[in-house]
Amino acid sequence: MDMYNFHPYSGGGKIILALLLEMGRINPSDELRDIVYKCTECGACAISCKFLNTLEPLEIIMKLREKLVDAGCGPMPKQQEYIDSVKNKNNPYNEPHEKRLDWLPEGIKLDPNAKVLYYVGCTSSYRREEMAIASVRIMNEAQVPFTILGDDEFCCGSPVLRTGDTKTFQEFLNKNLDMIESKGIETVVFSCAGCYDTFKVDYPLYRKYNFRVLHVVEFFDELLESGQLKLINEVPLTVTYHDPCHLGRNAEPYEEWEGDVVDLMPLVSINMPPKPKKTGAKGIYDAPREILKKIPGLKLIEMERIREYSYCCGAGAGVKSAFPEFALNTAKTRVQEAEDTGAKILTSACPFCSTNLQDAIKDRGSKLKFYDINELLLMALGLETKSLKKKMAEVA
Amino acid sequence: MTLDKEILTEFVEIVGKENIDDGEVMTNAYAYNWCMDLFNHMESKPAIPFSPIPKAVVLPSSTEEVAQIVKICNKYGIKFKAQSTGLGPWNQPSTENSIIIDLRRMNKIVKIDEKNLYAVVEPYVSGAQLQAEIMKYGLNCHMPGAGPQVSPLASATSMNGPGFTSPSTGHSARNVLGVEWVLPDGEIMRLGSRGLKNNRNWYNGDGPGPSLRGIMRGWAGAKSGIGVFTRVAVKLFPYPCSTKFKLKGCSPNYDFDIPDFMRVYVIDCGTFKYCEKAMLRVEEEEISFMCSHLSGFAVMAIFATSIEDLMDKMAIGSMKVPLVVIIAARTTREFEYKQKVMSMILDEMQLTNIIGSLYTPNPIFYAEALRSNLGLHGFIATGGFQSTKGVCDTAAICLRSEQKNIPLKKKYIKTGAIANDFGEGHWMTSYESGHYFHVEAPTMFDQTEQSSVEGMADYMEASNQMDLLKHLGAPFFVEGDKMHETFGPHMMNYHKWLRKIKQAFDPNDIADSGFYISRKEK
Ligand SMILES: Cc1cc2nc3c(=O)[nH]c(=O)nc-3n(C[C@H](O)[C@H](O)[C@H](O)COP(=O)(O)OP(=O)(O)OC[C@H]3O[C@@H](n4cnc5c(N)ncnc54)[C@H](O)[C@@H]3O)c2cc1C
Ligand code: SF4
Ligand code: SF4
Repeated sequence: MDMYNFHPYSGGGKIILALLLEMGRINPSDELRDIVYKCTECGACAISCKFLNTLEPLEIIMKLREKLVDAGCGPMPKQQEYIDSVKNKNNPYNEPHEKRLDWLPEGIKLDPNAKVLYYVGCTSSYRREEMAIASVRIMNEAQVPFTILGDDEFCCGSPVLRTGDTKTFQEFLNKNLDMIESKGIETVVFSCAGCYDTFKVDYPLYRKYNFRVLHVVEFFDELLESGQLKLINEVPLTVTYHDPCHLGRNAEPYEEWEGDVVDLMPLVSINMPPKPKKTGAKGIYDAPREILKKIPGLKLIEMERIREYSYCCGAGAGVKSAFPEFALNTAKTRVQEAEDTGAKILTSACPFCSTNLQDAIKDRGSKLKFYDINELLLMALGLETKSLKKKMAEVA
Repeated sequence: MTLDKEILTEFVEIVGKENIDDGEVMTNAYAYNWCMDLFNHMESKPAIPFSPIPKAVVLPSSTEEVAQIVKICNKYGIKFKAQSTGLGPWNQPSTENSIIIDLRRMNKIVKIDEKNLYAVVEPYVSGAQLQAEIMKYGLNCHMPGAGPQVSPLASATSMNGPGFTSPSTGHSARNVLGVEWVLPDGEIMRLGSRGLKNNRNWYNGDGPGPSLRGIMRGWAGAKSGIGVFTRVAVKLFPYPCSTKFKLKGCSPNYDFDIPDFMRVYVIDCGTFKYCEKAMLRVEEEEISFMCSHLSGFAVMAIFATSIEDLMDKMAIGSMKVPLVVIIAARTTREFEYKQKVMSMILDEMQLTNIIGSLYTPNPIFYAEALRSNLGLHGFIATGGFQSTKGVCDTAAICLRSEQKNIPLKKKYIKTGAIANDFGEGHWMTSYESGHYFHVEAPTMFDQTEQSSVEGMADYMEASNQMDLLKHLGAPFFVEGDKMHETFGPHMMNYHKWLRKIKQAFDPNDIADSGFYISRKEK
């Protein structure tokens, strides 16, 4: 909405579009598609709606996309390329499946019998290898036995789901769950917020599973608490933290509700017991902040909009690929907010956010420097970070 | 249906191609308004929430751009409809061959003058944004009952004006100072001290400089029927209590540190007559920040954040004629004084405050009262509400209006069209320490049920008729020829004057007047 200004670009506006479509006042068209896909599915509208209302704009947006795909009218052409690549190569970047493990540095200890699985994800495997490398080095440092799926890991399906192709999504969900369940895994750890959110919130809507899912910030904070990781180095930096939508408000899982709708009087009914609202407040906000606070010498300064009210980086739901300018302008707004804190470092915990925010830092000529939260952790652990940043690349 | 290419090009030259859209989807979306289903039914049209579809939507960024757009509308005979946040009723076209001027890009707080107590705002500044900024100076502003998400400019210039803080902050029409106004022919008019030749400024609406406040908006506002307002100055008030505003937790279960010097009273007056007396007594003492009479059901609603949460407040719901008073002060002495006066009134009238004994509100209530958010609680029971009545008169007339309405409401409750608030669902507030009063009858209905929408619309019509027959004054949603011509002859023929204003200010009949008054008598 901030970028295009016309009302249909807002969450409320998209509810009107859904109503228009349902009532047959408009039909699927390129115009409709362009509006519906110029949205990062960041979920901010769904959170604003929850104080007194119970509407679910984000769910309506996702349904609208599904309808457009079913009608042969979505997604955007660039997004379709990514979907085709997921179908053919198990990743959206058109990379050979057999190269999925190329990022893995020598000397990393893996334990094929471990009960902890590190699910790398396509973006960390092919585009943001430094996040994967940092994650496995930290796990080795903590001496946590873990395994990875390697060739048996497939795209989590997030880029496909967020752009409305729920059928292809379910194929990939089943492939991944079958594989993980066959190995008796108890905990799956993610460094990608997108994969994490998809496993944690979206998978259970289609198929239940029995393992625990953790983002690395949760996992590493547990390791810091238990003393398995020890921070020995001073990191004298002023840092501000960007909450990724997929780790924050959108990572709040749906709570199961079994109850009755009781009619109190004509037109008025209540849920007995009250139905939990997904307010975004139960996203992962404390773990990354706890890590940053534990880093010796590091000073955390908060931005104006944080936690469930965080401003989106602009990369999500296929926007970075289909509408790069929209993505960049959104990230520039966020970078400006980060600059306003006076911090020198901007950090986050998602490969999409880091790519897009770094693009914006460059484009704005900002003095801010971006580090992934794992990189800051590596510094505090006294581990080498130089080898990490090889290239900046596209994200799906 | 779409604009001629040549006309489109002229608009594009003004705002750039990214700020105009004549697409089918876009224009259809701007034909939506949440109240249109009711108004369509009242005009014997299908009860759908859509109006005629505008030909295009234009997003100007300055007064000058608005003026140029309006001039092109005059050149080609295209009607225009302006909207600020687009939340209120009547911001969609009433007629074919029109465009929407969406003022969203005009979103700046132009000036905060803390010494002279005013702020200058553009249309898309929300009340919440303005409040957040002026709070830093220890100041507050008036907000209509619609809540902090609407535009103070739209309320000040174009539509209605009562709010929960009206006892201390008045009516929107009384809050507007200097005005910048694009007339229906595209000329720019500046009112009050903003219209001075030399040293023009915003501090005054009625002179020095031209005063046309009554013509500009009168009581109910022209709903875009008399041009486009692009910047206004609104009054600021000292913040009512300590500005400490500490919110913890998360939606919807926020915790709030109740600021120093704020206290709420909920009193059952027992009878309407006694309620009138109590309100007048409280207001006579000039001590209230808020002073509202609501039904028991409505008091339950303002303390609740969901329908489930409403149900444990039966102790309040059983009150007969409740009065809610909030006092707020800036110093201990002022606070003690106001509490003493309240105690004296309660003793004198043998009334009891149930707060603290029968009921203790969740602290978030205080935050919502300070941010003028209480009106939105009208949606929690059925997801939809609309109001009838809205008279601006003495306390006695307001309460008479309410009493007369109860049997009528009950009749429609029986049909199942509107939700059961025992017919009592009303909201009455004083303005400016009891100088005059407002009453309306918020009524809950279900917008997803055709029968409920139609029943609600029928009830609104019947309520309007009753206002006329029982001399209860015009409802505050008096809009369009039909309403003005119904009420005008009973109210000193005001509609004739209104029409003269329209004729004088809109020679080419370009400002969409479907919700104002048309140039020609029909
Ligand atoms: C839930 C709810 C409760 C309400 N309760 C109250 C209440 O208690 N008291 C009260 O006074 N009102 C109430 N209203 C109506 C309220 O006055 C308006 O919603 C609000 O003040 C208008 O601001 P807006 O930003 O929503 O305007 P919009 O929706 O944008 O416009 C409202 C009207 O003003 C016109 N308009 C807007 N901006 C301009 C402009 N710049 N130039 C010319 N014309 C313009 C529009 O054409 C339209 O007719 C309520 C509305 C809602 C939705
Ligand atoms: S970008 Fe975010 S806030 Fe905007 S409509 Fe999409 S989900 Fe809602
Ligand atoms: S917050 Fe909710 S109710 Fe408000 S406009 Fe957005 S979707 Fe609609």
